[in-house]
Amino acid sequence: MTEPVLQTEGLTKYYGSVLAVDHLDLAIPRGCICGFVGRNGAGKTTAIKLMLGLLRPTAGSSRLLGCDSAALTPAIRQRIGYVTEGHRLFRWMSIAELEKFQRSFFAKQWDDKFFADMIEYFDLPKKRKIKHLSNGERAQVSLALALAPNPELLIMDDPTLGLDAAIRRQFLEGMIELIMREGRTVLFSSHILGDVERVSDRIVVIDKGVLRANCSLEEFRKAVKKVILSFADSTPAEVDIDGLLHCRRSEKELELILVSTADDHIAEWADKTGAEKYHIVKMNLEDQFIEFTAPANHKRMFRWEEI
Amino acid sequence: MALWIQILPGSGKPIYAQVAEQISEAIAKGELASGDKLPAVRKLAAELVINPNTVARAYSRLEQAGLVTTKTGSGTYVSDPKLRRSDAADINILTERMDTLITRGLNLGLESEDIIAMFKARIDKFVSKPKAGRGKND
Repeated sequence: MTEPVLQTEGLTKYYGSVLAVDHLDLAIPRGCICGFVGRNGAGKTTAIKLMLGLLRPTAGSSRLLGCDSAALTPAIRQRIGYVTEGHRLFRWMSIAELEKFQRSFFAKQWDDKFFADMIEYFDLPKKRKIKHLSNGERAQVSLALALAPNPELLIMDDPTLGLDAAIRRQFLEGMIELIMREGRTVLFSSHILGDVERVSDRIVVIDKGVLRANCSLEEFRKAVKKVILSFADSTPAEVDIDGLLHCRRSEKELELILVSTADDHIAEWADKTGAEKYHIVKMNLEDQFIEFTAPANHKRMFRWEEI
Repeated sequence: MALWIQILPGSGKPIYAQVAEQISEAIAKGELASGDKLPAVRKLAAELVINPNTVARAYSRLEQAGLVTTKTGSGTYVSDPKLRRSDAADINILTERMDTLITRGLNLGLESEDIIAMFKARIDKFVSKPKAGRGKND
């Protein structure tokens, strides 16, 4: 196993008394597209900025491509691409000027033709100033700038926020295009779980600054389950099933959210508690995410009484 | 061929399974014939805008089912139906699935003739279609 391209150890950040990132121990292997997900305010942007050395951690450390984030050398930085949330680019520059500026940081690796082809594909005039572009066009320029240096590690902070379906798809295509090259790795945060499911083979979930999952997407898909059990008289007082995350009761039914509980164990438990029947409900990634990051004893916002 | 494969994120069905199922359906319908070459993993990944590992997983699932064979350095081909594995265990699984469907049909109040007619109509959809393959707009 080669060294992870991205690794954090006990990475922690306080803003005053507010804990934004809480002892994050993360390791991302080379060659994957990793979807970085968490609710608003979970600490994704802070974690990304810490990894890139743009913020100083309160405690802990992180390494990118084997180099400490606090001391990234220009040589290492050249191998890393970073797309900021909201695609903040220098507004007074034209696309051509911005390319020239950006290219100066990447020297030999910059692929002029690739950049020109992308800008042409997006049908953007190179002389136009960034401030005269729409949000979508600015995002397209930002994507071209991120891919042109052929980065070994590409980190994107919610790159598709507020973009239309077509431009979002272009970002996904860009990630797939990059990952096909030898040894490339992408980490991107997003709230659009359909996008994450589509292109990622790995998922990292953080919640309130705490790492909750870092595994293959397939593993996550298999791990989070919903089970509904029906009982003849009443539900059991104690729910002692392995991997229990949430338990919701109605008079004769139990709805359980379980993590990494084997189907055999569910069957045994249903049998032991005398459930009349049970079934394991198929969940999509979005449902899994919502349940997985819901606070303990989570109840539905609205409840309808049975008619 | 990639154009007729539909990816539905959020459907609950893993994307590799969506790809594998649509290809096996095309093989069953004869739209992909024995000896036909499947697109390279990377090509299909780029066209469908999905992770290449997902395509590789779909292909290996098809290979496990005996529907395709991978020749090293050359590609993945639809295998010869005569050489496809169809052992007793596979037939058992098929019988069980048919039993489930028949049970549901009878519970819905259908007569056995109705169920047979429905099976017949569905099978016709698979075997009587011209072999030319689907168009882009299908």
